Amino acid sequence: MNRQRKSKLRDADFTTVVMLRLYIAGDAPNSVQAIANLEAICQEYLQGGHKLEVIDVLKHPRRAMADGVLVTPSLAKLSPNPVANIIGNLSDKSKVLLALGLARKSRSVQ
Amino acid sequence: MNDGSTSRASAAVTTGYPVRLQGVLSQLANGSRERRAIDAGEIDAIIDYARRNVILFPAARRALQEGARARAITHSGLLANSLLAVLPHEEQRRLLQGLESVRLQLGAVLHEPGEALQFVYFPIDSVVCLIATVESHKELGVGLVGPEGMVGISDVLEANVSSVRALVAAMGMALRMEATCFWETLRQCPRLRHELYRYTDDKLTLARQALACNCFHSAEQRLARWLLMIGDHARSRGFFLTQEFLARMLGVRRVTVTQVASSLQNRALISYKRGNIHIVNRSGLEAVSCRCYRRLKDLHERTARAIGLPGQLISRKRRVGNAPWRQCLPLR
Repeated sequence: MNRQRKSKLRDADFTTVVMLRLYIAGDAPNSVQAIANLEAICQEYLQGGHKLEVIDVLKHPRRAMADGVLVTPSLAKLSPNPVANIIGNLSDKSKVLLALGLARKSRSVQ
Repeated sequence: MNDGSTSRASAAVTTGYPVRLQGVLSQLANGSRERRAIDAGEIDAIIDYARRNVILFPAARRALQEGARARAITHSGLLANSLLAVLPHEEQRRLLQGLESVRLQLGAVLHEPGEALQFVYFPIDSVVCLIATVESHKELGVGLVGPEGMVGISDVLEANVSSVRALVAAMGMALRMEATCFWETLRQCPRLRHELYRYTDDKLTLARQALACNCFHSAEQRLARWLLMIGDHARSRGFFLTQEFLARMLGVRRVTVTQVASSLQNRALISYKRGNIHIVNRSGLEAVSCRCYRRLKDLHERTARAIGLPGQLISRKRRVGNAPWRQCLPLR
C-alpha cells in the first residue's frame, strides 16, 4: 500500500522541464531578436516549464567551442530527448516549434 | 541546378566580407543550413575553430560598436552629473540600465505644468530653466538645473505631474530615463533617494529665494544674478540667450531686458550681441547683482562640500573601460 502511495505521489510531482541553451553574440541585432522571439515562444507554449540558459560567445568563447557551436544565434534543446539544434534569429516560429517538439501537426508532416 | 545557384549566391555574399571571414565561410558546405542562414542575414558571429576565435559579421560589429559608443557616452555622462557621480557603483550600474543620452536643443520644452512626466533628465553640459506660469504670457523663472541636478523632482516626491515648465536654457547633452522606470530604480537605490531629497530641498530654497528676490530687487539686479547663475551652471562665461527668454525668466517685458542689458554692457560688465552673452567682468557683475546670488552660491558650495564634491565642478573627462567588442580576441 505504501509503495503504491509513493509512486502516485511521484507521478503527480513529475513534470517535464525543457532545457534550452541559446548562444548569442552580445547585443548584436540577431541575438537580441533571437532572445525576444524565444522568450515569446516559451511564454506561449511552455508557460514556465522550461529552463533557458543564455551564453554570450563573446564572453565565453571557450564554452561555445566546447559545445561545438559554429554560428550564433544558435539554440540547443538539451532535454527531453531528442536533442535538437536550430540557428538564426528564430523568427520562423514553426521551425522553432518543430525543433522543440511542440508542433504536433508539423511532426506528422515530418 | 539548385546547387549551382546556391553556390553562386553564396560566393556573391562571401566576397563582400573581410578576408578573415571569407576564409571561414569558404569552409562551409554550399547549401548547408549555416550558409542559408548567413545568406538570409540571420547570423551575427561565426566561430573560427582553426584560429580559436569568434568573428563578427560586419552588421553585428557595427551594431555592437554603436551600442558600446552610446553606453560610453551614457557612462561618462553619469560621471559628469554631480548627483549621479557620488552614487555607489552598484546604484550607478542599476541606473545605467535605464538611462540614455539625448541632446537638448535650445528652447525645447521638457515638461509642461500640469502634464504627466514622461522622462526625468540629468543634464551633462546643458542647462534647464524652470519657469512658473501664471497665465500664458506671465511667467517667472524659479529654478535652474545644470550638471549638478535633475529635472523632474516631482517624480521623486511621488507626484507624477510637473508643477513648472522646464525649458532648455543652454543646449547640450543630458541623460534621461522614463519616469516609470526611474520610480522603480529609485526604490532600489537608497543613496540616490537620499541625494535627491537633499537636492529637492536645495531647489525649494532656490525657488523661495527667487520669489523673494522678484518682490524686492530690481530687474538689473535680478538679470545680473540670472546671468551669473547660468554661467555657473553652464560652466562657461559665454552662452546664448535671447532677450525674449531672459524676459520670461525675469517676469518682465522684453524692452526692460533690452534697457538693462545695454546698461550692463555700457559698464563693460557683459558683452551682448544678438543673443551671444559673454560675462566680461565677473566680480563687477556680482557687485551689481543682489545678495541672493551669493547666498544661493554659498548654499550650493556648502552642500557640495558636505557630499564630498570638489566645489561645483566634476571633471568631465574620465576614462571609460574597454569597449565590449574588444573582447572578441583570439584565444590562447
